[in-house]
Amino acid sequence: MSEFAATEDDAPAAPAGAGWDDVPAPAVAPADGRTPVPSARSIRRYTAQVARRRSGAGIGEVLGDVYYAVVISAIGLGVALGLAGQLRSTLPHVPDEALRSGISLPTVVAVAAFVVAGVVLSLSARLGPVGAGGAEATWWLGMPVDRRGLLRPASLRLPIASGVIGGVVLALLDGGLLADHGVGHVLRLGGTAALVCAGLALLAGHLQSRGVPRRATALAGDAVIGVAPVLALAAALAGWRVAALPDVPWWLLVVLAVAVAAAWWWLDNRLGRIRGRDLRESGSVATQAAGALVSLDSRELGRALSDSAARPRRRRVRRMRLVRGPVSAVVVADVTVLLRSPRHLVQLVVSALVPVVVVITPQLAGVVGVILAVLVSGYVGMLATGEGARRAEMAPIVDRLLPMSATAVRRARLIVPGAAMLLWSAVAFAAVGRWEGEVGAWLLLGVVSAPVWAGAALRAAYRPSPNWEGPLVATPMGALPGGVAAVLSRGPDVAVLGMVPVVLSVALGTVLPQVVVVQAAVSAIALAVGSSTSTKTMMERMTDMQETAEAEKKRAGR
Amino acid sequence: MLAARGPSVPSEAPAAVRTLLPVSKQPVIRAVDLLVGYGGEPVCAPVSFTLPPGKALALVGANGSGKSTVLRAVLGLLEPVGGRVEVLGRAVDEREVGFRTRVSSVLDDDAYFPALTVAEHLYLTARGHGVQGADAVVGELLDEFGLTEHAGALPVALSSGQRRRLLLAAGLVRPRSLLVLDEPEQRLDVAMRDHLAQRLVEEKRAGGSVLLATHDPELLRVVADRAVLVADDQSRLLSTADAVEALRPGVL
Repeated sequence: MSEFAATEDDAPAAPAGAGWDDVPAPAVAPADGRTPVPSARSIRRYTAQVARRRSGAGIGEVLGDVYYAVVISAIGLGVALGLAGQLRSTLPHVPDEALRSGISLPTVVAVAAFVVAGVVLSLSARLGPVGAGGAEATWWLGMPVDRRGLLRPASLRLPIASGVIGGVVLALLDGGLLADHGVGHVLRLGGTAALVCAGLALLAGHLQSRGVPRRATALAGDAVIGVAPVLALAAALAGWRVAALPDVPWWLLVVLAVAVAAAWWWLDNRLGRIRGRDLRESGSVATQAAGALVSLDSRELGRALSDSAARPRRRRVRRMRLVRGPVSAVVVADVTVLLRSPRHLVQLVVSALVPVVVVITPQLAGVVGVILAVLVSGYVGMLATGEGARRAEMAPIVDRLLPMSATAVRRARLIVPGAAMLLWSAVAFAAVGRWEGEVGAWLLLGVVSAPVWAGAALRAAYRPSPNWEGPLVATPMGALPGGVAAVLSRGPDVAVLGMVPVVLSVALGTVLPQVVVVQAAVSAIALAVGSSTSTKTMMERMTDMQETAEAEKKRAGR
Repeated sequence: MLAARGPSVPSEAPAAVRTLLPVSKQPVIRAVDLLVGYGGEPVCAPVSFTLPPGKALALVGANGSGKSTVLRAVLGLLEPVGGRVEVLGRAVDEREVGFRTRVSSVLDDDAYFPALTVAEHLYLTARGHGVQGADAVVGELLDEFGLTEHAGALPVALSSGQRRRLLLAAGLVRPRSLLVLDEPEQRLDVAMRDHLAQRLVEEKRAGGSVLLATHDPELLRVVADRAVLVADDQSRLLSTADAVEALRPGVL
C-alpha cells in the first residue's frame, strides 16, 4: 500500500475539542526564532493606522468629516421632522365616532414598529451580521491570533446602525406623526426602539455564531415584515385598536440597556467560534453593499441583499415546459426569478396591503394620505417586480441566446412586471374604490394604470450606470453630481408622471371617463418609454439634435 | 515560544527556509472518502489520500473538476458533503489557533489592503505570526520573488503576476507545517515558475508538506511525489509520471 493511500482502517483523528498542544510545532519557518504573536487588536490598529497615514487624513480632516456628518444628520432629521409634521397637519380631522371604526393611528405606528423590527432582522442577517471580506479575509483570518480582537468593530457596526435607525424612525413617528405626547415620551420610546433594534442585530450575530444559516434568519425577518400588515388588517376586523403608544418607564429602558450590553458581551465571547467561510461570505456581501451605496447603485445593492440569502441549490429543476418561443422564454425566466426571491414576493404583498391599511385608518384616509400610499407603495411593489430585468441588465445571458432584438426583449420583459402590478392594482385600487364608494370605476383605473408601473420598472432596471462626470448641483445636503441624479431619476420619473391621472382622480374623489382615457394614453407612452433602448436623457437627446442640426447647416453653407 | 530546536538548515536551502523540528511520522493530511461540493451537492467523486510529512501531493483534473473545492475543504473553508479530512491528526477546524499556526495557504484571493504597500503586507503577515527578524525575512522574500523594486508600491500599481508573487511570498513568510497552493503557477512567467518549483522542493527538504492543485506538468514533475486525479466518476491516486501524462492535451 502506498504511503499516500488512505483507508477507513486508518486510525481516527483525535476527538473533537482535543487541543493542539501535543501536535508538533510548525516544521518550517523563514527564521530560526520566534517572537510573541501580537494581539489581534494591534494587528487591526496597525492596518488602520497605515491606511489613515497614507490617505493623508489628519485630525483636521477627521474633525471636518465629523462636522459634515453631524450637520447633514441634523438637516436630515430636521427635514424628516418637518415632513412628518406636515403630513400630520394634512391628516383629516376625524370625529370621535369615526375613530371607533377601522384602526387607529397609534395601531399603524405599532405595526410600523413591527415592520422596522423585521427589516432590522432581515438586513442584519443579509449584511452580516459579522463578517470579514476582501483583504481582511485574505490577510487577517489566517493569523494565529484570537479573532475576537479582529472582528470586534465589525460585530458592533450593525447593532449600532440598527439602533440608531430604529430609534430615529420610532421617535419620528411618535414625535412627528402622532405628536400627542411630550419630549420625554418620544425619547423613551425612541430609546426603547433603539435598544430593541440593536438587540435584534445582536441576536442575528448569535445565530450566526451558532451556525444557523443566514438565509433562515433573513427569512424570519421577511416573515415578520409580511405578517405586519396582516396583523393590521386582523386588528381592524377584530376591532382591536391601540389607543396610544405606551409610555415606557425609565427603569425598563435601563433593564433593556443592560440586556443589550449582556447580549453584546455574549456575542463578543463567541466571535471566535464563527467559521471562516461564514465570515468571508458575510464580509463579501457587506463590501458589495457598501460599494453599491457609495456609488449610489441601488440595483447592485438589491443584488447583494438578494444573493446573500439565496438558496445554495435547488431541489427541483424546472423543465421550463411553458417555454414555446423566445418571448415565453423571457417571461418564464422572469417569473422564475421572481418566485425564487421570497424577499421580493413579501415586498409585493406588503406594498399591496399598505393602501388597504391606510384607507381603513380614519386618521390617514385623506387625499394626501391615499395619494402617498398609492405612489410610495406602488413604487416599492414595482421595484420587486423588476428583479428579472435588473439581473438581465447585469448579465444578459438568456437574452443573448434568443433570436430577439433588444427592443423586443424589453417588450417581453414588460409582461411580468405588468402582470404582477395588475394584481397589485387590483388590491390597492379596490381598497381606494371602497373608500371612495365606487369600486368598479377605481378598479378600471387601476387596471389601466398598471402598465405605467411596468414601464417604470423597465426604465429603472435598464438605466445606465451613474454618470459622475456631470456638473455638481448645490443642495441642502451638500453638493451632488447632477449626472447621477439624472440617472437615478430614471424609473421614478415615469412612475410619478404616469400616475398623474390617478392622483387627479383621488384629488377629485371620482374617476371621470376622460381621465381613464388619458390614463390609457399615458400608460401606452410609459410602455414605449420602458421598452426603449435609448439610454440618453431628454436633455442629452436635445443637445444631440441641436449639434446635428448645426453640423448640417455648416455642410449646407459649404 | 517556538525556538529553533531542530536540525540546522541544509546548506543548499534558501535563507528563508529553516527546518524547526525533526520530521514527524504523523501524516499531515488524511482524507478518507472526502466528498466535497456546494449546498450538499457533490462536485466530484470522493477522494482518499494521505500526505506524509516532507512530501508533496498534487491534485490534477480538468477545469471545474473540484480541485479547488477539495483544497477549500482541507483548509476548513468548506464543509465536506461526506467523508472526513484531518490535518496533523485533528479534524479540520480553521477556528483553532493551532490549525492556523501550522497551515499556510495561497488560494486565488486577489484582495489586498489598498493603503498597504507590498512590503507592509509581508510585514503584517510575518509579525502577525511572530517571525523573528521580520525585516531580514521580508527583504529576502522580496528579493526572491522579484518584488524589491516594488516594495513601496501599493497593490493597485502591480501587475496581476506581481500580485500573485506577493501572495506566494506571503504564504512563505510565516512558519508552517503544511503549505496549500491553488494553481500557484497562474500568472507567473516561466522563470518564476521554475523558481517556485525549486522553492517547493526546498520546502519538502526542510520538512514541510505541500498540497497543490496544478495544471502545470513541469511543476507537477519537479515538485509532486504523487498526485490525485479529481474527476466526476472516480478520483484516484496516480504516480507523478501518470499525472504528467494525464495533463497532456486531450487526455483529461
